[in-house]
Amino acid sequence: MNTVVAGITYRALLGRRRIILLLLLPLGLIALAVLLRFFGGNDQPTAVGLMQSFAIGTMLPLLGLIAGTGVIAPEIDDGTIIHLMSKPISRPVIALTKFVVAVTLLAVFAALPTYVAAWLLVGNEDRIAAGFAAGSLAAGIAYAAVFLLLGVVTRHAVTIGIIYALVWESLVGNLLAGARTYSIQRWGQSIADQISTSAFFEADVSLSFAVPALLIVTVAAVLWAGHRLRAFSLTGDE
Amino acid sequence: MSEIYDIGYRHYDGPRLGRGYATRALAVHSLRGVFGLGRPARSKLTPFSLAAIMLLPAIVNVATMALIQQRVIQYSGYAVIMQAVVAIFLASQAPTLVAPDLRHRVLPLYLSRPVTIASYVGAKVAAMTVAVFALVAVPLTVMYLGELVVDMPGPPATGEFFGSVVMALALAFLLSAFGLALASFTPRRGLGVASVITVYLLSFASIPLVYGALESTGHDEAASWAWLLNPFWLVDSVQSWLFGTPPHSIEGGYPSGPASAVFLVALVGIGLGALMLRYRKAAAR
Repeated sequence: MNTVVAGITYRALLGRRRIILLLLLPLGLIALAVLLRFFGGNDQPTAVGLMQSFAIGTMLPLLGLIAGTGVIAPEIDDGTIIHLMSKPISRPVIALTKFVVAVTLLAVFAALPTYVAAWLLVGNEDRIAAGFAAGSLAAGIAYAAVFLLLGVVTRHAVTIGIIYALVWESLVGNLLAGARTYSIQRWGQSIADQISTSAFFEADVSLSFAVPALLIVTVAAVLWAGHRLRAFSLTGDE
Repeated sequence: MSEIYDIGYRHYDGPRLGRGYATRALAVHSLRGVFGLGRPARSKLTPFSLAAIMLLPAIVNVATMALIQQRVIQYSGYAVIMQAVVAIFLASQAPTLVAPDLRHRVLPLYLSRPVTIASYVGAKVAAMTVAVFALVAVPLTVMYLGELVVDMPGPPATGEFFGSVVMALALAFLLSAFGLALASFTPRRGLGVASVITVYLLSFASIPLVYGALESTGHDEAASWAWLLNPFWLVDSVQSWLFGTPPHSIEGGYPSGPASAVFLVALVGIGLGALMLRYRKAAAR
């Protein structure tokens, strides 16, 4: 961890208009929860549906993508990463610092709003709110690592990440049961299911697969990102 | 004592091709940029693979028409069904049109030519519109040609086909105006991609929930209005008003009458207005 690098990264992501992008989806989630509450949808199936389809299904992958690639890709894109890399800071430490920054952003902008939205609908019933907050935090950590790696590896990180999140996890995952096993958001749901005792929520992936998968993906992605940074070549865009 | 030397710089006395020509050249260049033509193979990968994914259902539909004489997908519902692919195409390619010029601050160079801000914005919107229109209309045309060749029982759905092509143009115009406006707020491509897809997903994922909440409490009239907040369902609603096609929303219908068309025109106006304001500011820097 390097606090100066962390500070610069926070400023790059939260400064000026960019924070609007991070705020848009969580505010949408909370607005939806308020709307559903107002129209009397404060029962467990509605809450679980909102969590599954919006909080973990849409908001989390997208925020993971914005935070995960946002901590490093813009710097690579405009070439200022060269100033960072010419400093005597170990490159794996740079990668780890950026990863930690992305995780803290996801805890604030994804896991916390998830808890608030679920709490607005059903309070602390059957630990739904706590379960989904923990699930979204766990999946958020894995997303941050994977998308950080993607940002280091390719210039088209955001597009590839969107195709992974929308086409593989949502489209293919909804059609083919087998694809759900290899989807980060389903691993997060598995953790949510473990904590919550709601009868209206059933995860597709067993916990004994989800936890090792989350750990392996996260550690491998952060290590690999650090390794890629050690021998990094700035190539021209297009 | 001074003397003026003629050191041989030549005057240009060829034809001056003017603003129209410059704008057309910019539009064609932008259109080639959307599909990565004249750029390395990496830039062609995304647009062409997305275009291939768009074509797949059309080819499957032609095959089922030939083999079991059945239509799987209607022309009028094609864009709504494939909306995720169209949105990814818009999000990934709109920033390639606007971000480099903003990042390298070359706008004053463009504006030192006969090109004005309006014609610059017009050329960019036209290029993106043609690209999105091609993305939607080519599969529709493939399906229609397939239907004519296969010779399905009953008359071909010519009216529905042409209606859906017209609406594809409206959809392309709406998406381009809005997508470019969103993408132009940041000079970084990655952030541009993320902001376009965020706004789309916000409208896609939340609307069925809003509809469900309103409909389950008996606000059916208000619930039908919820669909208009997503560009694809908005255009579908205009289509069902203009051409009488069945609604392709997930459930329930659209508000009747020309209200959705008015809303569509207003949204296009907002998108174009935002683009003009953004570029007026960017040109001043």
